[in-house]
Amino acid sequence: MPAAGRLIRAAVIATTALLLLGYVLGPIYWVFSSSVTAESALVSKPIRFVPDAPSLRNFRAIFLYAEEKVTYDTRRQSDPSAGEFVPSAAQNLMPAMMNSLYVGVWVAALNVIFSLTAAYAIARIRFRARNAALFAILTTRVIPDIALAVPLFLVMRNLGLIDTREALIVTYLAVTLPFTVFILINYFESIPSDLDRAARIDGCTHLQVLWHVFLPLGMPAIVASLLFAFLSSWNEFVLALMTTKTMAAQTLPIVISGFVFDFTTSFSFINAAGVVAIVPPVVLAIAFERYIVGGLSAGAVKG
Amino acid sequence: MLLVLPVMAVLAIVAVYPIVHSFYTSLYDIVLTRPHRAPFVGLANYIAVFDDARFWVAVRRTTVYTIVSVVGTAGLALVFALLLNEVFPGRRLLSIILLIPWATPSIVNGLMWKWIYDPSYGSLNGLLDRLGLIDRYQLWLADPDMTLLLVAQAAIWKQMPLAAILLLVTMKAIPDDLYRAAKVDGATVLQRFLHVTIPGLRSGFLLVFVYETMISIRHFDLFAIMTQGGPGDATFTVSWMIYTETFNSLRFGTGSAIAFILSMATFALSYALIRLLGKDR
Amino acid sequence: MENIRKSGVSRREFMAGTASLGAIGAAGMSWSPSAQAQAAAVNLMTWSAAVDQVKSHISAFEAQSGLKVGYENAPGAQFRQTLVTKFVGNAPMDVMWVSDAWLPEFAEAQWLAPIDGYSQLTKYNSDIEQYCVDSMVYKGKQYGNVYYTDFMAFLYNEEMLKRAGIAAPPTTWDEVVAQSLILKERNICEHPMLLSLQSDVTWYIEFMSALAFSFGGNFTDNSGRAVMNDPSGGVARSLEWVRDAVHKHKIVSPAATNTNEIAGLKAFGAGQHAFGIIPRYRLRPLNSPAESQVAGNVRMAMMPKGGPNGTNATCGWVRFYGMSAATQRNAARAANAVKLIEWFGGKAMDSYTFQKMIILDLGLPYCTKPLDNDADIIAFYDKFAGGNDVIRRQAAQTRKKDVVTTWFGEWNDVNIQATQKAILNQVTVTAALNESAQAWERLRTGK
Repeated sequence: MPAAGRLIRAAVIATTALLLLGYVLGPIYWVFSSSVTAESALVSKPIRFVPDAPSLRNFRAIFLYAEEKVTYDTRRQSDPSAGEFVPSAAQNLMPAMMNSLYVGVWVAALNVIFSLTAAYAIARIRFRARNAALFAILTTRVIPDIALAVPLFLVMRNLGLIDTREALIVTYLAVTLPFTVFILINYFESIPSDLDRAARIDGCTHLQVLWHVFLPLGMPAIVASLLFAFLSSWNEFVLALMTTKTMAAQTLPIVISGFVFDFTTSFSFINAAGVVAIVPPVVLAIAFERYIVGGLSAGAVKG
Repeated sequence: MLLVLPVMAVLAIVAVYPIVHSFYTSLYDIVLTRPHRAPFVGLANYIAVFDDARFWVAVRRTTVYTIVSVVGTAGLALVFALLLNEVFPGRRLLSIILLIPWATPSIVNGLMWKWIYDPSYGSLNGLLDRLGLIDRYQLWLADPDMTLLLVAQAAIWKQMPLAAILLLVTMKAIPDDLYRAAKVDGATVLQRFLHVTIPGLRSGFLLVFVYETMISIRHFDLFAIMTQGGPGDATFTVSWMIYTETFNSLRFGTGSAIAFILSMATFALSYALIRLLGKDR
Repeated sequence: MENIRKSGVSRREFMAGTASLGAIGAAGMSWSPSAQAQAAAVNLMTWSAAVDQVKSHISAFEAQSGLKVGYENAPGAQFRQTLVTKFVGNAPMDVMWVSDAWLPEFAEAQWLAPIDGYSQLTKYNSDIEQYCVDSMVYKGKQYGNVYYTDFMAFLYNEEMLKRAGIAAPPTTWDEVVAQSLILKERNICEHPMLLSLQSDVTWYIEFMSALAFSFGGNFTDNSGRAVMNDPSGGVARSLEWVRDAVHKHKIVSPAATNTNEIAGLKAFGAGQHAFGIIPRYRLRPLNSPAESQVAGNVRMAMMPKGGPNGTNATCGWVRFYGMSAATQRNAARAANAVKLIEWFGGKAMDSYTFQKMIILDLGLPYCTKPLDNDADIIAFYDKFAGGNDVIRRQAAQTRKKDVVTTWFGEWNDVNIQATQKAILNQVTVTAALNESAQAWERLRTGK
């Protein structure tokens, strides 16, 4: 390639890369910088992109919230609507995060256990309902979450599971299973069938084949599935909005949406709450980055 | 067979039952403020919905939102995938950073953009003003002509990474021979892109279009956090209508009918897309 | 084993990854959801206002009665939906704040219990204003005790008017336009008049009713029929005024339909507006130096009159403590709930402690007549409102919403959307109000 061509190529790549980088990181930066800016600076013009005197005030309120008994003497005597108000619901962020983690981990774990067996069966064992099963699993995924919300709400009510983390686990399991099964099937089908045939001839049961052959070989797809399931639960909003009402089960998105709708919360605090909800999933996604691409590749190529 | 049973059982309880239940509910005139009366009305709820002018507004809003966000996501994802398919310093870092929007919860995505778009204190006005691109602060979400597009933009930001990964993976699977052959035939960069890359991406695009359409047509979170269906009916989508019909109006019968209609529409659309894009394979 | 290595991850790596996830999960488990809600003798559910005041009053209640209170609050804008899902889901909830707008719906759905049978609660009726009692009565039964009452006030920034050389606040909506244009011309503010008209299921109808009443309008007539679409009526004229204020005079921000009550308040407190329709209790934060940049300059005027039939009337409301029907069926819980309601909505240890605390702390007004002569409260009005003369006169001209029915929630959605479209100039005022009236009549006649 001539030098001029290389130069143009480099310039195009650099420009595109910088633009995309700005598009992806710009909004995130604004949330972070707003979360450490004083409220009075946030609502004054012109808008400042670098905080003058960054403060971790909001994060202290979230992480070091001390439950104090409020009495006539210790109450705050003013309308909290203006200024640097940290809502009393700040104390709910850590419990909500724990709920999100609890639900997410259980969903991820159960998800892989259920979908491994199903994917193995669909990918390997020849049985008549193979195609029907795959189709049924995928079909369930077209139901909009909002359409699931009302019936699920009524089911959970009848089971007495409203406002429990268990209800969320079961619900999210259903929502995430089809996609995981889909990823795993595609991945398993790319594994040479000689391996498991040999194992079967050696007298291994299906479960043994699954454990000794498919589990190790399917690892990238399994890790990707774990991540998908975890992030989907972490992210989910509508169903949790319908089926949880108290801190016994409310997850981060619900508590955070509460701040947005509240009429007393400061802008900088809302952004701090957003930061708290972004960091864990982003760290996980970055840590397991290579499995996400690897796990998806088989599925995408086969389409 | 036994191994598939657990999955089938879970799906039956939490996916099949709800859809059957919502169809069943949609046949009754259930209004919570009239607890002693829930007559069977057959398809009357569906007729009422189809007669409701607001439903057709919702259908239009949903259609526009879906088209804009699917096309926008696919387009931006293609640019990203093409870039990451090249070899250049910092490529890996960029591909890691790309995952950030994907991992960002949609509620946080919504509050982030709502804050960016804020007509008084938002950074979008601040940035455009500083760059001298606007002479006065814009209304953004408060401007009914822009609201839907701005919500779609927020959706694109979040959806684009996954779509880019799917396209990139497909792109990598295109045999190098095809490019070499095209080069030998004297094809320009653009021609190679149009005649080798794009056709080679068919399966990737199929996945992106089907997946993103399913996501967009039923999207709820961003509307809940950013616009609540307003201003006026500017972002009154079908999924938002289901929500207000059910929890503001307490009409579970018609709410379920709309929910069922949306499910069927999503199914039909996905099926049509698969047939359309998946043919001659 | 070679295949395993090729696949990119060893089982060990996988186990390590899973273990780290597991550790997080265990951390989640160790935090067990508070059993408080179940264990508490009485549960109180409120929107997230007056949180410190409620907590302190609960502390005193627990000390005095020995009963444990489970207290929760949810954001105001989501509160109606939160209550609905809680009621439908039979969640434990004994006492809750309720808006007068929801009473017929919640009573018909048999979610709220009448409290006529508890003389500890009804005995306070003689101490409160009659319209407050009326606001808690549906089909002859009373459903609670008052939390607070208020009305939409016309507030103005005295200092800005002085700077513009305007001697007195406007008395008609035409004068509001004229004075606003002067303020615009002098570059004192871009949008002198503040309206917060976001689609909010609680506030919207109260803002719109206040405007309509000041134009002499009614949404419904004495027999409950829709009259909001009368083209020469006050509702239509008030809506036309808002539309013209936005598009013709440009004295109201076009972002009004995207401005909620709190955002409007913050903007007024930041000195961006000279006039505003704002709940009266916001006088306190607006005139507090710590919370407002215009402290000391905010005053209240009588609601301006609009059109040929204009009045100084505004829209008022009552929020009250209700008891859930499920609680009433359990005699022991009901007894505890009654104690808590009395502690908050009646007297606590022989005085109206809570009513006095929320007005002094937050500016939230009471229905309780004996407090009118309280020296602290008189001093409060002198400090934050420059006396309460106008407040008294406006209170006498306060009307209840005329759309509170069992179909309020259903109609409200349609009405918000239709009238917002008129304000955005997407449809005519006549078309919008016809749509609203048709929805009303369809729901009223059950067809």
